Amino acid sequence: MSKRGAKTERGGKGGLSRRQFVGTGAGAVAAGALAGGFPAIVQAADPVRSIGLGVSVINEIQGQAAKDLGFPVRGQALGYGAMFGKMLNQNEQYEIAEGYFNDMDVFQPAKVWQPIDTKRIKEWDKVTNLCKTGKLTPDSREGQGDAPFRHLWLDENGDRANGPSRYVSMVPGWHNADSIGYNPEETGRKIESWAELFSEDFKGRVALLNIPQIGTMDAALAVEGMGLFTFKDKGNMTRPEIDFLIDFLITKKKEGHFRAFWETFGQSVNLMVNGEVALESMWSPAVTAIKAEGVPCVYAFPKEGMRGWHGGLAISAKASGKTLDRCYDYINWWLSGWAGAFVARQGYYMSVPENVKKHLEPAEWDFWYDGKPAATELPDPFGTIIVEKGEIRDGGSYWDRFKNIAVWNSLMDENDYLVKRWTEFLSA
Amino acid sequence: MSDRARHPPRGLIGAAPAPPDDFVAAGPELRREGGFPVGWLIAPATLWLLIFLVLPLLSIVVFSLWNTREAAEELGFTLQYYGEYFIAEGFFDSTSRNFLSTSIFIKTLGSTLYFTLVVMALCLLVGYPIAYFLAMQVGSFKWQMALFLLCMVPFWTSYLIRAVAWLPMLGRRGLLNKMLVGLGIVDKPVGVLLYSEFGYTTALVQLYVVLCIGPIFFSLAKIDNAILEAARDMGATPFQIFREIIVPLSLPGVAIGMIFIFVMLMGEFATAVVVYGGKTSTTGTVILNYYAIANYPFAAVNALVLMLAMMIGVVIILKLVDIRKEL
Repeated sequence: MSKRGAKTERGGKGGLSRRQFVGTGAGAVAAGALAGGFPAIVQAADPVRSIGLGVSVINEIQGQAAKDLGFPVRGQALGYGAMFGKMLNQNEQYEIAEGYFNDMDVFQPAKVWQPIDTKRIKEWDKVTNLCKTGKLTPDSREGQGDAPFRHLWLDENGDRANGPSRYVSMVPGWHNADSIGYNPEETGRKIESWAELFSEDFKGRVALLNIPQIGTMDAALAVEGMGLFTFKDKGNMTRPEIDFLIDFLITKKKEGHFRAFWETFGQSVNLMVNGEVALESMWSPAVTAIKAEGVPCVYAFPKEGMRGWHGGLAISAKASGKTLDRCYDYINWWLSGWAGAFVARQGYYMSVPENVKKHLEPAEWDFWYDGKPAATELPDPFGTIIVEKGEIRDGGSYWDRFKNIAVWNSLMDENDYLVKRWTEFLSA
Repeated sequence: MSDRARHPPRGLIGAAPAPPDDFVAAGPELRREGGFPVGWLIAPATLWLLIFLVLPLLSIVVFSLWNTREAAEELGFTLQYYGEYFIAEGFFDSTSRNFLSTSIFIKTLGSTLYFTLVVMALCLLVGYPIAYFLAMQVGSFKWQMALFLLCMVPFWTSYLIRAVAWLPMLGRRGLLNKMLVGLGIVDKPVGVLLYSEFGYTTALVQLYVVLCIGPIFFSLAKIDNAILEAARDMGATPFQIFREIIVPLSLPGVAIGMIFIFVMLMGEFATAVVVYGGKTSTTGTVILNYYAIANYPFAAVNALVLMLAMMIGVVIILKLVDIRKEL
């Protein structure tokens, strides 16, 4: 048992008492009230508490879930670091973790989540093969790194299972693929390769993402695109590979190649809107935000393939009894389409497209999933028009996009070393 | 007479202290007059500090020693993270790139300190004349206060807004660039204003200078005009007066201001992200990065070393200027 496991065990005492309360229903609530001293438990008697990033934890989504399911669902959106820490260290503070497959190397051995029984996931069969086999379509490439299918399958004890089994670590949810955003007026040409990130033509007009785990992967894709180096696995680099990459980045930085390193979505938008950069690594919703400011922006569809990421729904190891039933209800609700349609209007995809289709207007489906020109103007989830009539989504259809994932967001074995060298890069 | 003995002068900064005997007499007297014993008076503050300062600090110390990350069999304690902080990997290995080189974290602390000192010097250079003008050149008290408040106005908004406000000022399409192009000084917008050492330093000085204007202003305003008149009567030149009277008497204000700025700057991380485009590391950003990957022990080590560095800095400033004596 790892130390982390030991920690969980100790924390388990509180969980046990809550389990008893919840298990015996109303009587337990009364007992809890009598017991005093546990006001939080009485209060939290029934809501399903869900934590995650702002991508999936949005008031409207959990609100709609509560309305449809008839029990309270409380969402808490956190920053990445806070989310990661809370998921890992305080699994008595939530029932649902809206997590990401690339962190599974940490969460799975820690056993802070329980294996999810796919027999209780009503529409499990409708979940696409993207996470099950790694191939959305038969001719898809799997992609390097922490591809969801490498982290999905567990046995009933929560240990890794080889290939398909009855239990999974997370139920696949929202996902997307990232690449480079650029202003065609500034670049003067179409950007079709990651290598353009380091093109001399754009010296001083380039921004990279300042999240070491992801920034290095974008850089690695670029270095490979330039034909400078071939990584054995960009999703799990060795020390010499990291050294090569960071040394290259340091040289580039000293030449003044980078305008800035961005950390938040808003920063990436401002960099392009203010004309600071010609191209930068970018998250796809930024394109819409930049265009909304009247600045032309195109999302590149590099020939090397995109960098994918995949979120999903996990259940805390502490959830049981009636609460556990509700966790499954919530997850089943996520797959049923409403939430998928909500995030689709922000440009994200969902693991059960056919259910999403039911909740989207045909014009929306054609634009967001099929990659066709918008037949009418289209709104974001909050009703603001963000897509003009005739506009077309870069990167083609969902299936085109996801059959060519070069690498998935990953947590490397050498993560600590990577962060250390990234610090060095920034200081250089 | 006896009245005065019982109530030593209070409230006037700089008034001559009453002889010690009076204090001895006054102590118990005050208590009898119905106040709480001192112990009770400081109890809430002590409790507050204990819970919200001492305990968290102790927990940071414990965290820094905690061996929570490796798959250790038992919950254990380790000095490993301190080792990683101070000794670069490969320090003892003659084939390594890091042979006998300083660790990146010490280098980062060093560059943080360097920037801090530069910005402190600039703040003093900018802040002192402003404070001097307010205290010495502006005649009426009303105007002094009005102008001082004017200095403070930007600080009624949040720190981040003030930092972000530099973007439209210094950016490629910013105000300054428009001016430079408009005046024909450059023919196309220059990039060195923003996301550069220049922009970073400028922003930091603007963000923190008021922290020293305040204290310097107050210590200058306290200088008795009679002293300056006396010096003038005895034939001192304005420069002599400045050097031998005003500067020494304003030192406590300078020291307090510098302590504020020093402590704030050493912990700085947001400006580096916003105005420098993340193109540098400070100890603050290192702590954040390690927090983000849930390496709490290492973040704690960084925090503790930073705190130690801050304490040493403050002690040095206090050694240079004896605030107690000067006040």
